[in-house]
Amino acid sequence: MLKSPIVTFFLLAVLLFSLVILAAKIGEVRLPGNQQGYEPTQPIAYSHRLHAGELQLDCLYCHFGAQTSRHAGIPPANVCMNCHKFVTAPLGAIRAEDELAQKEKREPRRIISPELKKLYDALALDDQLKPIPGLEQKPIAWVKVHNLPDFAYFDHRAHVSAGVVCQQCHGAVETMERVRQDQRLSMGWCVNCHRQANQQGVAGKAVNASIDCSTCHY
Amino acid sequence: MPSEEIKRYWKSLDERAAQENGPAEIERELQFDLDQAPLRHPRRDFLKLSGFAFSSALLIGCQSAPIIKAIPFLNKPEEITPGKSYFYASTCGACSAGCGLMVKNRDGRPIKLEGNPQHPLSKGGLCAVGQASILGLYDTHRLKQPMRAGQPAAWNEVDQEIQAKLSEIAARGGAVRFLTGTITSPTMKWMIDRFLSRFQYARHIVYDPLTCSALLDAQERTFGVRALPSYHFDKADVIVSLDADFLGTWISPVEFTSQYASGRSLEGHPPRLSYHVQFESRLSLTGAKADQRYCIAPQDLNAIMNGLASLLARKRGIPFPGTTTLPSSIPAHDLDQLAEHLWQARGSSLVVSGSQDVKTQILCCFINEILGNYGSTLDLARPSSQRQGDDGELQQFIQELLNGKVQALFIAGANPVYDLPQGEDLAKAISKVPLVVNFASELDETANASTFVCPDHHYLESWSDAEAISGIISTMQPAIRPMWDTRAIIEILAVWMGESKSAHDIMLESWQRNIYPRRLKAADFQTFWDRAVHDGFANVEPAAMTPKPLDISAVKPATESPSPTSNNLALVLYPKVGMLDGRHANNPWLHELPDPISKVTWDNYACLSPRTAVQLGVSDGDVVRLSPLSGANCTIELPALVQPGQHDQVVAVALGYGRNSSARFKEIGPRWFQARPSTGNDGLVGKNAVPFLYFDGDARRFDGQAVSISPTGRRSELASTQSHHSIAVPEKLAPFGEKQRRIVQETTLPAFIRDPKSGGHPHHPPEGELWPDDHPYKGYRWGLVIDLNACTGCGACVIACQAENNVPVVGRDEVFRKREMHWIRIDRYYSDSQSGVDVLFQPMLCQQCGHAPCETVCPVLATVHSEEGLSQQVYNRCIGTRYCANNCPYKVRRFNWFNYQHKDPVQNLVLNPDVVVRSRGVMEKCTFCVQRIQEAKIEAKRLGQKVPDGAIQPACQQSCPAKAITFGDMNNPDSLVAKRMADPRNYRVLEELNVQPVIGYLTLVRNRQGGSGGKHHG
Repeated sequence: MLKSPIVTFFLLAVLLFSLVILAAKIGEVRLPGNQQGYEPTQPIAYSHRLHAGELQLDCLYCHFGAQTSRHAGIPPANVCMNCHKFVTAPLGAIRAEDELAQKEKREPRRIISPELKKLYDALALDDQLKPIPGLEQKPIAWVKVHNLPDFAYFDHRAHVSAGVVCQQCHGAVETMERVRQDQRLSMGWCVNCHRQANQQGVAGKAVNASIDCSTCHY
Repeated sequence: MPSEEIKRYWKSLDERAAQENGPAEIERELQFDLDQAPLRHPRRDFLKLSGFAFSSALLIGCQSAPIIKAIPFLNKPEEITPGKSYFYASTCGACSAGCGLMVKNRDGRPIKLEGNPQHPLSKGGLCAVGQASILGLYDTHRLKQPMRAGQPAAWNEVDQEIQAKLSEIAARGGAVRFLTGTITSPTMKWMIDRFLSRFQYARHIVYDPLTCSALLDAQERTFGVRALPSYHFDKADVIVSLDADFLGTWISPVEFTSQYASGRSLEGHPPRLSYHVQFESRLSLTGAKADQRYCIAPQDLNAIMNGLASLLARKRGIPFPGTTTLPSSIPAHDLDQLAEHLWQARGSSLVVSGSQDVKTQILCCFINEILGNYGSTLDLARPSSQRQGDDGELQQFIQELLNGKVQALFIAGANPVYDLPQGEDLAKAISKVPLVVNFASELDETANASTFVCPDHHYLESWSDAEAISGIISTMQPAIRPMWDTRAIIEILAVWMGESKSAHDIMLESWQRNIYPRRLKAADFQTFWDRAVHDGFANVEPAAMTPKPLDISAVKPATESPSPTSNNLALVLYPKVGMLDGRHANNPWLHELPDPISKVTWDNYACLSPRTAVQLGVSDGDVVRLSPLSGANCTIELPALVQPGQHDQVVAVALGYGRNSSARFKEIGPRWFQARPSTGNDGLVGKNAVPFLYFDGDARRFDGQAVSISPTGRRSELASTQSHHSIAVPEKLAPFGEKQRRIVQETTLPAFIRDPKSGGHPHHPPEGELWPDDHPYKGYRWGLVIDLNACTGCGACVIACQAENNVPVVGRDEVFRKREMHWIRIDRYYSDSQSGVDVLFQPMLCQQCGHAPCETVCPVLATVHSEEGLSQQVYNRCIGTRYCANNCPYKVRRFNWFNYQHKDPVQNLVLNPDVVVRSRGVMEKCTFCVQRIQEAKIEAKRLGQKVPDGAIQPACQQSCPAKAITFGDMNNPDSLVAKRMADPRNYRVLEELNVQPVIGYLTLVRNRQGGSGGKHHG
């Protein structure tokens, strides 16, 4: 069949076309399970750029589990409420309402931003942030961004206490409006860092970052 | 070389026969014939399939990952951090012994039970049954709401109806009976008393399926106190037990094992080793540990007690009423010597009897009294309430019930239809009682006959307490919200008394009223209560108890019954270590736990001595029919099991089987075309032997029933793990020209005192290394030492490991195929001795070899060595060649032939989130609980220190009641494990292979004369 020049030409064209496509996509080839760049929408449009970047909140203020536990944890709603008991909307919106109220000669109303409304709804709070009797609280189902396979056990505590900065694995979260997986989180990536840490230390201190399998797999 | 004959060990009678008749049997184990297994799939097929697999793997890999939700708390409780375990101190409710617990919780649910190391009774130990009882919490067969006449009902309806009926009965003056098992909870007792005080003719009847009624009666008749003494086996230098299995099943095994082990520690100078003599008719766990064991027919036990009592009375100068003829079943000289031993150890000896004959038990009290043991090795001033059942009252109650005199019957923690003889009659009588309320949490045999079933909480959901030994009150607190719509009994009783109170409030009231006044130290109530709940127990003033001096007139020689005629056998019913009275027959872990002695899983059977089996012409698995000579209609058919160490005139059958709750196991294990059910023909696991129980005077008897036995010609194979994973080799492969590989080591006390290394390997281990010494262990080097002298073989470690490491249950059919998954097994070795057989237990788990043979053969490096000396198994890398298992000299690797059942989402709540659930095609093995090592290491790193010695306890070590297992860092010379490794008794199994295992075993030392064992040279 290959003796027919038309067929040969056709096959060559297909091959060439495939190669071009492959060459264009070569940079995006990734192994199964690699979710680098994953950036799911969240139930509440929480902005790390605003909180960690602009307002410079410490990561560990909300993700306090990172110091004492395997999981850094998503903050429970009562941690949000430490501030959002008072801050219910962006400053601009509140100022505008204040000005409007002054103009209209009335008490300024409490402005609640639509995203924060979702938080208050979860906690079954009304407009005045008082509990609504009889209404059940509904936990917020965030979408997990950084997923490791079930057979890998990662422990935040060990890394935070060794002085690894959060950004090393999570990227510049303080610039992200919505959190995105910045690194590959593959085993090779982990092991490379462990090797490097053993040679160069972390934050100026010598460390013992084990590369035994059972460090993560058990 | 030793001058005397070296002991030969064997695991099964087949193996012993092979030792005598040539190696054919063992070789059959090792042989496999390639011709029999033709290659069904040629290479091309394989390539095609692998190509297909590879491409589909790629396709599957390209799928986008599922969206995983992370749901945080809205209001986080202070003590809970996601990912961190936290512990509640509580009390085990699996039996009435009342051991202290630490309930390990994770994210709001209990995942593991550990012993509470501070608890004064159990001292950190927890038995197999206790460990397994967590599975009962997640049992989907538990009742999820109250039932009325077999139909689900609501609590308020049931309450109203029962209250109405109760007031009617109270007005009529009808008889109200509250039937329970032993209740050690002061709060529960207080509530029941209050509840019953509202009726004119009300009585609380207590009975135990594994009764000690005769012992209680004996204490009452001799000392005027109906209570068990508390026992102190640790203070006893000479222990004589007549058929009391105190290390396995008798009253409080964990407490006794802990005491027993501390009386035999060998660590002092001079070493202290109590002398333990056991008289028994079948081989029990306790008998297996005895220094001297006499195999005695049950009817001859009384004669021994008589003989011992009369000899000791003579020594004491007290006239002994009755005969002074000595028993014929053991040499007179032996009994004389034993009496002398006891007499020499006055005040520090202990005689216990498991008999249900009141006269024998009175003699036992008498012997302990003349030896001056009361107040030292056993104590009536601080009595135990671990058994309270009164068989005399029970009989009266049964008569009342059968005569229809009971108007209202409440049943809590008891299953009389199953565990009393004439169960069917009782069921009929119960269904005729106008008001029957059962507090059972499942529809057991009795609940099926009850009008109302008001399910109680599981004990891990309840507030309660337990005063097992007077003056020590353990607390029980809920570790999880009730899973279903159940209610604590004390709450239910409160509702019916018209006071709606939570169990917590009832507890507080009861403690304030009854327990706080007994406090030892001044403290306000809140502090006292908080302390007790935090610690899991409170020490208080023991209840005032004034035993009278021994009433000598009660002491009479026990009746010596005639031996049965040669054709008949005496039936002995006994509880198994895992199954006890059958209340946990819904627990698959316990069914799959090999019985410590017989190594059989998923069944009960008729144990026969080898000689009797030959006479009857039966072997293991031949079904025999037992029928009582008395003519009672209770025939039972069971597979036979040939049991060394059993008396020739005895057939022994385990209780606790044939429960209706075992019907669920029909389909347990992998479902594939060759799968067979785990249950018998009747759909249940094992057969119920309870109909053979009988009342003799005031006591329920477990032994002595004469039965005739006949083979049926049918077979029913027993799923025994006895011959699985054997590390014995045929004689021609034994090293050093010996007849057998040396696996276990033992010596005797005199030989040990002469030479602490006695019993050890007479040959030098091989020298020289094949491997370059380029992997020094610079940091930690984990090691483990097992003291064979302390190990009783009870199996607590097996279940602890199963719970900790998500080890699956495979079902009976897979056990037949040698596919049980336990990471730690307990090898039980027999050897011949003058008294029949000696028994030696050796826990066998991954030896984490320094030169691991498994590691060198793995083609994909799925098992590799760590810097800390662990042989790591990496599941996600394993492709399942099974080369490693074939190359393991210790046979401790387990292969996942299937995806074992994880279909029940409720049952899955028990899984440990720190350990991967392995899937099909993956090898697994003991990891030294590496998840616990990692946790401790990371925590130490966080605090900037080294892991302190003792901070890491693998699950097996944590729960061991005998503290036989020590784990730690061998590179730390101050660690306990390093010290034990340097013990002269320490040896490694199969050291001659030079695989350098890091598990040290400490030689067993028996307290008996002779037998120097192997001597060292050079």
